[in-house]
Amino acid sequence: MYRYDAIDKELLTDRSNEFRHQVARRLAGELSEDQFKPLRLMNGLYLQLHAYMLRVCIPYGTLNVAQVRRLAWIARTYDKDYGHFTTRQNIQFHWIKLRDAPDILDALAEVDLHAIQTSGNCIRNTTSDPRAGATAEEIDDPRVWSEAIRQWSTLHPEFSYLPRKFKIAVTASAKDRTAARVHDIGLALRRGRDGTLGFEVMVGGGMGRTPFIGQTIKEFLPATRLLSYLEAVLRVYNRAGRRDNIYKARIKILVSSLGAEEFGRQVEEEWAQIDGARADLPDTELARIRAAFIQPGLEVLPAVSDSYEAARAANPALARFIRNNVSAHKAPGYAIVDVSLKAHDATPGDANFDQLEAIADLAERFGLGDIRVTHEQNLVLPHVKQSDLPALFEGLAAVGLATPNINLVSDIIACPGLDYCALANARAIPVAQSIAQRFLDADRAELVGELKIKISGCINACGHHHVGHIGILGVDKKGEEYYQLTLGGSGAEDASIGKILGPGINADQVAPAVDRLVEVYLAERQGEERFLDTYRRIGMTPFKEAVYVDAH
Amino acid sequence: MALTANRLSEGDVVFWASGQWVDQFAEAELFTEEATAEAAVALAKAQNRVVVDAYLIDVTRSEQGLAPVSYRERLRALGPTNELGHGKQALGGAAITALQAASGAARSTGRLDLIRRK
Amino acid sequence: MSTLIKYTADGATEVENAFVYVVDDEAVPQGADIIVSLSRIKAEGEALLASGVRVGVQIEPADAVEDLAELLPFLALVAVAFPKFRDGRAYTSATLLRQRLGFNGEVRAVGDVLREQAYVMTRCGIDAFVPADGSSAAEWSRAAGHFRHVYQTAADGRTPAYAEQGRR
Repeated sequence: MYRYDAIDKELLTDRSNEFRHQVARRLAGELSEDQFKPLRLMNGLYLQLHAYMLRVCIPYGTLNVAQVRRLAWIARTYDKDYGHFTTRQNIQFHWIKLRDAPDILDALAEVDLHAIQTSGNCIRNTTSDPRAGATAEEIDDPRVWSEAIRQWSTLHPEFSYLPRKFKIAVTASAKDRTAARVHDIGLALRRGRDGTLGFEVMVGGGMGRTPFIGQTIKEFLPATRLLSYLEAVLRVYNRAGRRDNIYKARIKILVSSLGAEEFGRQVEEEWAQIDGARADLPDTELARIRAAFIQPGLEVLPAVSDSYEAARAANPALARFIRNNVSAHKAPGYAIVDVSLKAHDATPGDANFDQLEAIADLAERFGLGDIRVTHEQNLVLPHVKQSDLPALFEGLAAVGLATPNINLVSDIIACPGLDYCALANARAIPVAQSIAQRFLDADRAELVGELKIKISGCINACGHHHVGHIGILGVDKKGEEYYQLTLGGSGAEDASIGKILGPGINADQVAPAVDRLVEVYLAERQGEERFLDTYRRIGMTPFKEAVYVDAH
Repeated sequence: MALTANRLSEGDVVFWASGQWVDQFAEAELFTEEATAEAAVALAKAQNRVVVDAYLIDVTRSEQGLAPVSYRERLRALGPTNELGHGKQALGGAAITALQAASGAARSTGRLDLIRRK
Repeated sequence: MSTLIKYTADGATEVENAFVYVVDDEAVPQGADIIVSLSRIKAEGEALLASGVRVGVQIEPADAVEDLAELLPFLALVAVAFPKFRDGRAYTSATLLRQRLGFNGEVRAVGDVLREQAYVMTRCGIDAFVPADGSSAAEWSRAAGHFRHVYQTAADGRTPAYAEQGRR
């Protein structure tokens, strides 16, 4: 894990001080709201429906025990005893007061946390694979590069007032767990033919009003040239991105209008003029960052643990948990555990004080103190001994964190929606809960298998509905909440944008519609097909006919 | 119409009532004339150290009482529907119940009710 | 004459702004130091630069600052405009002036120039400011000086964190 040195810590303190001054100036009337708003956004503070919301940065989705405990403390001390994990691996607090924000930032800084650039027209949290350092699938540890980007992008003076927000994701495995192809920049680690490390650079992905899959503008960028190349992309965007219309200001619009080839050419032209010696990280710094991620504490264990196998055989609930929530670790005798924040009656992505404290305890006891956040609003304990899995399971179950539904139908991404968000048109949380209720039967859910449902309360698509196998978009139709379903989206390495199923339906109709879609899938699937695969093979018509069979 | 905003320092939802800001929709001043309402908005916007985002909302009267027309504004006046113990609705009382009932959408467990804009 | 905050090796001081911004279709005032637009310097550069006064050029956000490359040795200053403080294109213009075009004259921020952007402006190589919010030099300095360390290289040449004593 990257450990903050004195320099990193002083940066957080200085930032916190700066914001304290800015808040004081605002409260004293020396700054107008117009002048203050970008400043508070760049410290993660939104004004939402009921209160301010603070979005705390969780760099590339990694947390240590002290940080989790501090987040729990903030939830209890300044909020309503819970936090909400987001689709960018961050955590949000929904009931914050502006006047408390400077103190909260100080409290975060004490454990090397912050809210820097979690909003605003700047470079946001660079996200990555929650299994980094634990999976055998990765070409290299993407956290090394995510940390390099984090530092480079933090308070970057040239790129703090971009045309619009800017999101970067780094993936390192063939299976993409970062949605890199729907990011402004997606970086996929690659090996060159001679074995050198590099990135495939994809630009212009994104969701919202105009969804796009990112286009590859550079097949192989040598890894040591990463920062200078990013500088070139950002500079082209800062100069040429539209500033006349916020709905056309993302880089995806620029890439689409120029074409990927021309955009890539402009980047190359700019890049050629950048002095790598100034702009790229020296090898010493890369080595220093890399050294921080060497995983200590992994023991040499046998691949099979008898006690674990016995417990699994004896306890069907444990067995179900293992089937759905546990994946292979690169080290024999270890496992990667997905912790679901999607209990059927809970708010998707939320964790309360007790749950956060329990996660901290369990990570400390069983997880080498390492906690991750996924972009699907769940948590991961990436380093757990198989022999500890039964005890871990009991610990999670005691606080309602053992729902065995990872990647299943009730593992739904849902944005906070109109219950909380000033931008929303419709509620998302109750819709997610109605679907989860419909599929309470765990056997049926496992029978259905992988089914990624994603719900957004408005076109801004924070719920990633465009890339849901089933996507659900909340719209306002004459003052009522309506929901438009899409099918066939994917945020993984097989990225695709979902297609509209048919006219919007009301909230009560959503869960029954999903039920019918599932029935079509179960009737039509062949072999090992997932829902997404069957849809891709048989197309929209059978699904549409099943949902819209009764004219209304 | 009523005039609503968020408190600058705390962020909570407030309503204009004769030059003061009150927490409960039930106590909000009601405007029937455009001119008076706009005058209040101007005064509110001048209070930029007290509130942010002041704007007028449409209000309607039904047999249960007064309620904002827009569903979004009803949520602001009440609180989130996934946590009935959070937000202004937690206070309970007649005014809150009236607000919930006025929309015809008092939420029962597991069911979704839609609120029709009149 | 408006207030100008100017940075030197000794820090920030308030000085008189001697330069007059001349709108494109207006006659150039006699004997005054002037700032003109990019299109005007392109059209009348020779005449203006031979007139014996100090000449500066104002770069608007959509202007290509590279177009000034050959004129830079003759310019007293380049002003980079912020029509709205949120328009960040001037940060790139200033950066390129310093890092790519090697300009060593004054780079001046004009327009919606506010104290809370003092830090990023300074880091991009801007060394003179016409504040729109009445900031004093002391207030400006304080706002620009909040950060003891910087993570990345920029036009101001500050040592990045990775090159500092603690990390090398």
